[in-house]
Amino acid sequence: MISQYAGISPKRDLLLLNTLGKAFKGKTFLHVNSTRAGGGVAEILHRMIPLLNSLGIDARWEVIEGDQKFFDITKKIHNALQGNMENITEEMWEYYYEVNKRNAKNINLEADGVLIHDPQPAPLINFKKNGKWIWRCHIDLSKPSPEVSNHLEPFCKKYDAIIFSVPKFARAMATDEFIVPPSIDPLSEKNMELTEEEIKGVAEKFQIPLDRPILLQVSRFDRFKDPIGVIQTYRKVKKYNDCVLVLAGSPATDDPEGEAVLEEVREYAANDPDIHILLLPPFSDKDINALQRMATVVFQKSLKEGFGLTVSEAMWKGKPVIGGAVGGIPLQIVHGITGFLIHSVDGAAFRTRQFLNNPLMAKRMGETGREYVRRNFLITRQMRDYLSLWYAVENKDKGIVFEL
Amino acid sequence: MEQQVEHIEVEEQVDTSFEFMDMVTILKSTGRKAANLRQLRDNLAEVSEECIFHHTYQYFSKGHIQEYTNDFAHWAGEGLEERALAEHLSNIDPYSFNSVEELREELLHVLDYYIENFPETRAVLPGNEFFFNEAITFVFPVGLRARNLAEFLIALKYVDASSIYYHFYEARIRLGRGIDDFSKWLDEVIGAKEVADKIRAIDPFMHNMEGIREHIIEIIDGALRKEMEVSLE
Repeated sequence: MISQYAGISPKRDLLLLNTLGKAFKGKTFLHVNSTRAGGGVAEILHRMIPLLNSLGIDARWEVIEGDQKFFDITKKIHNALQGNMENITEEMWEYYYEVNKRNAKNINLEADGVLIHDPQPAPLINFKKNGKWIWRCHIDLSKPSPEVSNHLEPFCKKYDAIIFSVPKFARAMATDEFIVPPSIDPLSEKNMELTEEEIKGVAEKFQIPLDRPILLQVSRFDRFKDPIGVIQTYRKVKKYNDCVLVLAGSPATDDPEGEAVLEEVREYAANDPDIHILLLPPFSDKDINALQRMATVVFQKSLKEGFGLTVSEAMWKGKPVIGGAVGGIPLQIVHGITGFLIHSVDGAAFRTRQFLNNPLMAKRMGETGREYVRRNFLITRQMRDYLSLWYAVENKDKGIVFEL
Repeated sequence: MEQQVEHIEVEEQVDTSFEFMDMVTILKSTGRKAANLRQLRDNLAEVSEECIFHHTYQYFSKGHIQEYTNDFAHWAGEGLEERALAEHLSNIDPYSFNSVEELREELLHVLDYYIENFPETRAVLPGNEFFFNEAITFVFPVGLRARNLAEFLIALKYVDASSIYYHFYEARIRLGRGIDDFSKWLDEVIGAKEVADKIRAIDPFMHNMEGIREHIIEIIDGALRKEMEVSLE
């Protein structure tokens, strides 16, 4: 299975994966998260678990169960870790722990390596049976609520290692902390190659004209993604270059503000026939793929961002990208080399005009960006990092250079 | 009857081929960060040698086009926008020191001088701080061996850039004296001293990995052409 990535992923990643696969042959590797469908973690685990198994590792994926009350609490914990003010009572913390305790009885936690994803199942560490346990935090921890951090810290301390997506989310702790950015799968529906006919078909479906440059942002209708700022950018550009704007996102059922933001965006667009606001149903990966491939310039004009993998998705398709200098976006956009980082609507407009008026520069940055993603943000690199990290934790006493 | 035992001396075949290796690093956070020059200096004085090693020697393994030669210079230039300091830091050659401690001293010397003369440096916005990391390194064979110049040339064209980093940069610390794996093998095993000297003359700070690859390919290609022309005479 891993051979499917030959010619796509860097050779060194595949070589190291094979070498580590042999080192961990027959070992059990358990992943635990809180949802089987939806979200980036589930998306990558669906692909990663069979790939790990194909390397000879006995990998499995378990999902903790909880009721609405539990997930309301964990949503609050999630938001508070991302810096929001939340009121989490002692009773809520107790319930959070109780649900984890119940799950610990139902899930087989015996494994040589255990990777716990995000805060929802973090207390499972208290029911550790054997093996090395690693906590993987996917969320933005740059300004966490101190109260919530204090509640989670006793769990964190018990892990053998913690993984963050970007260095700025790490903090001074006694536990070893590693940096592993997330990744995209080049062979998934969202990123695989499409034919011209398929792309044209999606353009026709959404009535998007292909005779003018297309500016695109794919994201939830969330104020932090600044959809209004994107429309303002388009209007500034439109004075100089005729173009079309596409704002594509899924309905945010778990976000009470989603509807309101969508309405604001529609109102702000003021029936401009060249602004296409697309509300895509879940599992629209192939449509998103086609939209990204038909775009001339792709935005991720976020004001706050976890990692922003839509940037890597667009870069993988060779598109010039413009992103807000927040969260994990600067890790993907090397300013002036793989795209442009911006701090304002004016910046976004200016850089868009540069791309539209200099197609050769746009092409060059797009190509550099694709290669940058190939080297740094594909699923094989993330798997390689997980296995390397597990190996390093197992052999902690043997130094920091491993000759395999 | 006395049994005669025949002793056959078997000459042990020593494999002198060049084995291409590759390397991968994973980042380990120290949890330390600096928002201004003073904090950079104070942390630099305390962090582990592994941390300084990562931000200086391993800078070139990051593989994209940079105008600096280490992470400290990069942050001074792009984060703090202290261009003069970035120039001073970029001019430090980590391979000219006998130890990481000596390199640390030189970095501190440059920072102290700058802080003394330009004390009014600004702080960066939250999120743009300098984050002190270390790296854990994995070294493994690529599965390619070269026995002569021609095989070496072909392999060099197809290995990943990180393999070139391992043999051209990382080797300088393993072997010392600014020597890389490529020139050592070409000189000592193949006897191609002229080729080895030309490779040693490449300035490691002025190219990215692909640039280094191109230069070495050009040198070996030239040597092979010359060899063929001589053999035709």
